[in-house]
Amino acid sequence: MSEDGRRATATWIAVVTAGLLGLTAALASVESAETSLIREVYAVPVLAAALRFGLPGGIVASGAAIVLQAPFVLPPIERTPAAALPAVAGFTVVAVVGIPAGLLTTRVRRRHARYETLLAVQRILGGQPCLDTALKRLCASLQRRLGAVAVALVVRDGNAVTIGGGRTMAPGSPLHVVCETGRPLFIADAGAECRPRRLFAAPLGVGERAGALAVERWGDIDTDEREAIVALAVHVGLALENARLAARQRRFADELAHKVAAATERLEEADRAKSTFVAVTSHELRTPLTALLGFSELLWLRRYPTEEVQRLAAIMHVEIARLVRIVSDVLDLSRVERGAPLPLRRSALAVEPAVAAAVALFRVQTPVREIVLDCAPDLPAVDADGDAFDRIVKNLVSNALKYSAPNGVVRVCARAAPGAVEFTVEDSGRGIPEIARRRVFEPYYRAPDAVGAARGEGIGLAVVKALVDAHGGAVTVASTPGIGTRVTFVLPAVS
Amino acid sequence: MTIAGEARALSALGAGRAQPLLTGTPWRGAALLASGFLVVAGLTRAGLLPAAATAVAAIAAVHGTLLATAVAWSDGRAFERERTGPTLVLAAVLVIAAAATAVHPLGAVMYVAPPLVTAVLLDPRRAVVPSRGILLVAAVFGCGLGAHILLAASATLDHRPHVPGLTAAVAALGYDVGANVLSAECFFRGALFDRLQRRWSFTAAAGGSTGAYLLRYGLDPLLPKTPEALIGAAFYLGLLGVFNCWLVWRSGSILPGIVSSLLFFTAYRLLTTG
Repeated sequence: MSEDGRRATATWIAVVTAGLLGLTAALASVESAETSLIREVYAVPVLAAALRFGLPGGIVASGAAIVLQAPFVLPPIERTPAAALPAVAGFTVVAVVGIPAGLLTTRVRRRHARYETLLAVQRILGGQPCLDTALKRLCASLQRRLGAVAVALVVRDGNAVTIGGGRTMAPGSPLHVVCETGRPLFIADAGAECRPRRLFAAPLGVGERAGALAVERWGDIDTDEREAIVALAVHVGLALENARLAARQRRFADELAHKVAAATERLEEADRAKSTFVAVTSHELRTPLTALLGFSELLWLRRYPTEEVQRLAAIMHVEIARLVRIVSDVLDLSRVERGAPLPLRRSALAVEPAVAAAVALFRVQTPVREIVLDCAPDLPAVDADGDAFDRIVKNLVSNALKYSAPNGVVRVCARAAPGAVEFTVEDSGRGIPEIARRRVFEPYYRAPDAVGAARGEGIGLAVVKALVDAHGGAVTVASTPGIGTRVTFVLPAVS
Repeated sequence: MTIAGEARALSALGAGRAQPLLTGTPWRGAALLASGFLVVAGLTRAGLLPAAATAVAAIAAVHGTLLATAVAWSDGRAFERERTGPTLVLAAVLVIAAAATAVHPLGAVMYVAPPLVTAVLLDPRRAVVPSRGILLVAAVFGCGLGAHILLAASATLDHRPHVPGLTAAVAALGYDVGANVLSAECFFRGALFDRLQRRWSFTAAAGGSTGAYLLRYGLDPLLPKTPEALIGAAFYLGLLGVFNCWLVWRSGSILPGIVSSLLFFTAYRLLTTG
């Protein structure tokens, strides 16, 4: 009780006591107390006490009023009992005023307090997203509202147990018993203190073992209050369930929004990538086509010596080979995206000649950049499609040349591995940042810093991976920014 | 062990069941005292002892049994085995006090011994210091009830209160302090009501305890057996009993009850001691 409340209570007690004593003094001073109207006025302080303090106030005040006026209104003992009837009737009036008025006041107050408590429960559980904190606040609030010495709350959600009003729940404890049996439990004395500590525990919710609520108090917990606590526990259970559902709904909505945002971002990225791919591929196709158109016009309109014709034809051949590679890559990627298998004609392929043939074209195209070929002696043949192998090596070497410095070196190595041959294409270029390294094999993906640095469609490495995978091999990339990149792929050897 | 401030409902200790109501009662000691009283009464009737010896034996037997039971019930170890020692010590102290009073009224100062011995024997874990507020309430109630009995007795029974002589006052007060009030509060409130309230509601526990309290005074040979005396005793002792139960219920201590009872019995002695 607050200081103000205590002061108000003391004032009321003083006023009622003064009223009763004043009336008694007045009654003692009159001649015929037995018939005095002052007796009827006793009902006023009694009623005031009943309305202020409820049933205890009504009982105590009416008892005090009867005891105080008795010596003055009761006849001497030697007179007949009938002579005492008017006095007894007066006592009855006082009791009838005090006790029912106190009873009604107590009931109204209890009901009001219950509604207030239910509202508080709703407010606490509805406004607090963290269950642990909500239970602690709820226990503190219930302890204050129920006039309890302690309130404990256990909430079970599957295997998870959250406890309010304590830290752990001991096996065999009253709350544990109620959680297990789902039935209310009353213990008249739950402690060994000088005053009995009443304990009443009720299950949360209806018909399910969702937890339990326990109230401990110095003093009685009567049947009426126990019923109210059972109802309160049910209400707490339902409020918790509502809070849990609301939290789940919020979480679900958040997850959904997150997923939708991620999917939208992926779609937008794919859309951007395809647009870029179309633009880049058109440009890539147009470049050799322009060259072919120009050279073919020259051959058509002019006469050249044989050596010059051969030189122009060689250039046209290179451009046609480039066109073929681009178209093949696009077709293969399209197959991979559709989930269709790549058509392979596998045979025993000698490694060194195959690698040398694939690299030869680049030696002609970019004579300023050195391409070092390093094949270990006595390598076994690989079980591969010759055309696919050629495209794998060409794609990797082409990439390595694109991102190498003008006088950089590209190394192409082949080494024997258990049951396979391991190929490495290594450049001394700018390298690939860590974040981009994880995505280089995705179709249409180009590292952000690579977009302006060199031409490309973002499909070369995706096609390499698809072709290596189709052979049952594996491809990996290792890179150190500023030092260079090494792509390693493994193809099965002919057994 | 429970963590301080934690609810008992979470601890296995909270589910402990109350012991049977009469567990720990010093039956052997009570039987010994009753036998002693019967022997003394027989010897007195045979003329071998003076008449005052029966009163001394009765005081020792009745109040000794009540005090010894209260002491035994307050002791957490009483469940293990019955101890007759405290019963005999208390009876001996009461015998000395009662005998001293019988020899000379001022011998009643010896009645300070039983409260001291009882305080030593009581389990210290049960010692509670009540607040000043509750002591004040008890004092006001005791004075009010005492004033009321004086007023009512003079108004309805034409009994006039009178101030007794010093020796009579000391003898009456000593008996109340060292035997009557002390044993009643220790047993009926400190032991019986305490055990009942740990099983039943306040109303039932106070009803049971006060019923036994009224029975004890109803059987007391010192109480006149006239209807007005019996009705008056039932009324005042009933009120006193219920109120003292409430004091124990509220404070956990029997000290406020001792204060209110002493004040009431002091007023009562103004009517009866002459």
